[in-house]
Amino acid sequence: MGRPTPATIRLARNAARTHFTDPSRQRGLLVAFEGPDGSGKTTQRKLFKTWLNSEGYDVVTTKWNSSDLIKPIIKSRKAVRALSPEEFSLLHGADFRHRVEQVILPALWDGKLVIADRFLFTGLARDVARGLDFDWVLKLYEPLLWPDLVFYFAVTPVTSGKRVTATRMPNFYEAGQDVTDVDDPAESYQRFIARVIREYESLALIFNFITVDAEQSIGDQHRRIRELFLEGERRPWSDWNVDAVAEWLALNGRHRS
Amino acid sequence: MNGARRGKPALIAVDGVDATAVLAEARAALGTPGRGGISRWDASGVFQDLAVADAGAGAPSARTLLLLYAADLAFRLRWEIRPALAEGRAVIAAPYVETAIALGRSVGLKAGWLTALFRFAPRPAERRFVHPRHTRALTVKDGFVGFACDRMVIGPGIRTRRQITERTVAHLRRSAQRARRVRS
Repeated sequence: MGRPTPATIRLARNAARTHFTDPSRQRGLLVAFEGPDGSGKTTQRKLFKTWLNSEGYDVVTTKWNSSDLIKPIIKSRKAVRALSPEEFSLLHGADFRHRVEQVILPALWDGKLVIADRFLFTGLARDVARGLDFDWVLKLYEPLLWPDLVFYFAVTPVTSGKRVTATRMPNFYEAGQDVTDVDDPAESYQRFIARVIREYESLALIFNFITVDAEQSIGDQHRRIRELFLEGERRPWSDWNVDAVAEWLALNGRHRS
Repeated sequence: MNGARRGKPALIAVDGVDATAVLAEARAALGTPGRGGISRWDASGVFQDLAVADAGAGAPSARTLLLLYAADLAFRLRWEIRPALAEGRAVIAAPYVETAIALGRSVGLKAGWLTALFRFAPRPAERRFVHPRHTRALTVKDGFVGFACDRMVIGPGIRTRRQITERTVAHLRRSAQRARRVRS
């Protein structure tokens, strides 16, 4: 009895590999949609989901900052503008971890296709844009779970700003007013989103995102996403994910099944 | 936080699993009340909010709880610890980082991840540890460790709060030994 032994961890890692590389089983797939606000990700995510359903895929969607456990905690603190960049980052990391354990990994294990409307890259881009250290932020998200595909919806800061402010004013944290010290939300957003997009562009290179030109028409983007998905869905399971899956299996005692 | 008299600023960490004993040790470490104040767990109210969360939201893992502990500690540093030090007062952080690291180690999280997580927390000028003399402390209900044991998902290898608490105590004893070696 006690903490997970090396034998338990080995067992869990083997169970993860066996499960996700079994050719007789429908493998779970994780597809992430990333990009700045106003890049049209959510529109594309909905179109993509409808198409996947029509093709017979069992689809689960998970959105950024949406865990039933942590979201209310973040929401109440955002409302009173009480979060420092570190607290903001750590709370979103907790929300992400809870969703990985409660939503994403169970669905992947059951062979479902998970669409993540924003993934850990959102945390990285925003937190680094807030001045936090990249390595520290990345560490918060360990053990890392890499998507099979990451679609990055690329827009310029000007387009993002125009689309977001066309219908509403960005909120305090969305506009980065906690770090820009600019009173006008629209102006602050313009400055902050330029930093976020810079970080996204670096991440797109480092992590090999599939970049979608989000300045194109909705229909053209959707067709391109379908093509790219069909090209990418046959990729083998990434062994980079073995630690994340093994920890979840050990936590739930499923490595024995 | 209380106290306002100016003196030598110092951050003193008091760690242990028994919240009552940790608080008593913190008061002893503080000495003269006017010298400074005590920064306690859950000053931000994160865990209070978690305690009333919908049960259907699913139990958090130790990793999730430690991310929340780190968020709470960041809040304590911002509003309690750093301002007090800047005013030349002493601050007793009770508990501080070692309790959380020991809890994480007790459920098998890697030391490297835990150390990196709390990298933002300044090194205390002094570390104190409160170890239980008897098994009474192994059934503690208050404090971060008690809270975590009550709520977190526990893997099949570690079935009881008592086992987790025992392991946390063991890790804290080792941390205390290391701290003594560093001092000497």
